Amino acid sequence: MRVEAYERFFMILAALLLVLGIVGIAIGALVAGVHVPSPAGRVDPRTLTTTPPFDQPGLRDLGGGKYEAVVIARAWQFQPDQIEVPVGSTVTFTLATPDVIHGFVLTGTNANVMVIPGQIAQVTARFDRPGEYLWVCHEYCGFGHHQMFGKVVVR
Amino acid sequence: MAEAAIRLEQAEYRRSALVEWLTTVDHKKIGILYYWTSIVYLLLAGFLGLLMRIQLAQPDMHFLGPKTYNEVMTMHGTMMIFAVAMPLNAAFFNIAVPLMIGARDVAFPRLNAFSYWSFLFGSLLMWSSFLFGHAPDAGWFGYANLSSSRLYSAGPGLDFWDLGLQVLGISSIAGALNFFVTIVNMRAPGMSLMRMPVYVWMVLITAILILLAFPSLTVGLFMIMFDRYFNTNFFNPLHGGDPVIWQHLFWIFGHPEVYILVLPPMGIISEVLPTFSRKPLFGAPFVIFAGIAIAFLSFFVWAHHMFTVGLGPVPNALFAASTMLIGIPTGVKVFNWLATMWGGSLDFKTPMKFAAAAVWMLMMGGVTGVMHATVPLDYQQQDSYFIVAHFHYVIFGVIVSALLAGTYYWFPKMYGRLLDERLGTWHFWLTFIGTNLTFFPMHFVGLDGMPRRYFTYSAETGWGTWNLVITIGAFILGLAQVLLLINVVKTLRQPATASADPWDGRTLEWTIPSPPPVYNFAVIPTVRGRDAYWIEKYGDGHHAPAATDTTQRREVHEPHHDNPGHGTLPPGVHLPKPSWWPLIVSAGLTAMAAGMIMYGTETLGPLGFPIVGLGTFVVFFGLLGWHFEPAIEHEEAHVA
Repeated sequence: MRVEAYERFFMILAALLLVLGIVGIAIGALVAGVHVPSPAGRVDPRTLTTTPPFDQPGLRDLGGGKYEAVVIARAWQFQPDQIEVPVGSTVTFTLATPDVIHGFVLTGTNANVMVIPGQIAQVTARFDRPGEYLWVCHEYCGFGHHQMFGKVVVR
Repeated sequence: MAEAAIRLEQAEYRRSALVEWLTTVDHKKIGILYYWTSIVYLLLAGFLGLLMRIQLAQPDMHFLGPKTYNEVMTMHGTMMIFAVAMPLNAAFFNIAVPLMIGARDVAFPRLNAFSYWSFLFGSLLMWSSFLFGHAPDAGWFGYANLSSSRLYSAGPGLDFWDLGLQVLGISSIAGALNFFVTIVNMRAPGMSLMRMPVYVWMVLITAILILLAFPSLTVGLFMIMFDRYFNTNFFNPLHGGDPVIWQHLFWIFGHPEVYILVLPPMGIISEVLPTFSRKPLFGAPFVIFAGIAIAFLSFFVWAHHMFTVGLGPVPNALFAASTMLIGIPTGVKVFNWLATMWGGSLDFKTPMKFAAAAVWMLMMGGVTGVMHATVPLDYQQQDSYFIVAHFHYVIFGVIVSALLAGTYYWFPKMYGRLLDERLGTWHFWLTFIGTNLTFFPMHFVGLDGMPRRYFTYSAETGWGTWNLVITIGAFILGLAQVLLLINVVKTLRQPATASADPWDGRTLEWTIPSPPPVYNFAVIPTVRGRDAYWIEKYGDGHHAPAATDTTQRREVHEPHHDNPGHGTLPPGVHLPKPSWWPLIVSAGLTAMAAGMIMYGTETLGPLGFPIVGLGTFVVFFGLLGWHFEPAIEHEEAHVA
């Protein structure tokens, strides 16, 4: 079968793009160990506020520039809704919700995770530049959805 | 006295016209009912869209409160999908498919009427939620446990949504069964599967998709209903349920649904482009198999809506790959359409303009679709306006454009008249400019981080300018649709003079008069190739043109196609009898849903179960009556 040169070019290009994409995902996932959000455990939403670490939400210094931020997302606020870390720190956000599904997306980073009742969500971000990083709830959660936001202040 | 008598006679005549429409089982009339109901809903749901655009035109607006905004957002999405895009497709299934396969009606004419009436009643039930001040407000996707728990969504709003969708789902499944059987069983002699017009192929694939995908939604909706009414805990994490199950059930339905919406419009494009390029569809078998491939793959991509749920790297990678794969058959179609137009003698009549624009906008929406398939990129885009831009390009840009192409293309088969070309050109350009002005800047604000489903945003975000542009675009788009209505009114005031074949068409619907007589084909045609009528007119490499003109001229000269009394039927033609039962059964079904909604409220609670019971009674005896009613009138009735 005779195939036009241009047509062949586009077919090869399309096939290459697909192969590249799939290889990229495979390398990212299996070799580079790119962290994708996945449930870090389960928690009973009824006893969330008395279950460690969610009994004391807030920022924890793990040493060596690493931090853990324990955040409760509830209708319709984050608790805490502001944390401060120095430049160059790596922050692991540990999130849970006692009510409906919320979301957590940190602008300017690739951190984006759904906060599902019953599950603990975990996502890590590194802050190399000073500034304010807004995070918002991006999973529709009802009347006050637009009021759910918080920020990371990097100094 | 005489005047009064005449007025009385006219009233009598009008009533019988009403009865005729209420009891019709003629696919052409049901198609017209479907068409106008969906167009009215398109304007209503579009109006809701405009309300949202006014609210978002500038930062910190308070035109709608957050509660109203959420209701408007939910109803806009739900109605556009289930009460506009799907039934508008169903309208063209009815108007075109039996004519294109050379059939006198669909396989189950009364079931067809039932599909329409349950669509009408189910959608009216959902719209009525506004009258009671409790419109659903959990988004068209209705994520549990926000939607499934009375704790988080009090009031009957979500009940309207849940039960209304059940009625619409029954309508869709009945319609899909009907068209599946019609296409498989009722094709004219000689029309093998591979000789079927591509549009009919896409309808067949869509029917299969509906039959396989809708049960997942039905089951999910039942689970929400049980959670809300009977305190089950399917989605309740407080007692060990898991709201993620709803997301799986919804998207296993939801992604095939996208292709349920888009495959028939792709079929319309595949009919319009060859007709106005005066060339056969390039690589038609590839277009058909690409449609089958899309349908098959669509069941393996649902989790790309759930990349941030936390399914883990392996499922995410697999679903990313399968989503990218679906880009291939879609690309095949786009290239085949381009190749169809390539070197053709193009005639840019209004249907061609809309179809060509739809191809271009499919490319726009398709490219961004492949972008979201890439998981890390999706983390940046998920639930941002970028996604809104993407699916509006597909749903409005492709689906509605193609359906408007279908409107201009098949209007002679609906009303025996051609829509005005000059108004059509204005309608096209304003729609095209409005669509792009509305949806293209959404890419910009989306990439800049503007989230979906927020009722307002602050001035510091700097999104105000583009949002104003989007709102202006939306108004142009909305007002442009008024031109369609003006065009229709203007055209209908003129006499029905369209010829049987005004576009020099390729398929069987152009062999019969416009509008077709009630029996469609006096003589069922014999088919010799894919472009059945084209071959008869002009021949192809293998077949000589038919020696005599095959337009059913004999029938054209029959004087009564606009007044189809039964006495004038050609010999041997049996037509299904009009019936009240489909209307009655649909009303009973909707009463059951309405009773259930009442049961969930405090004030009308005690009335709930009696009305459910009444509805059940009506459905049961309606089905009995339906069953015992003879489907076809007796021979004697014709003679009399």
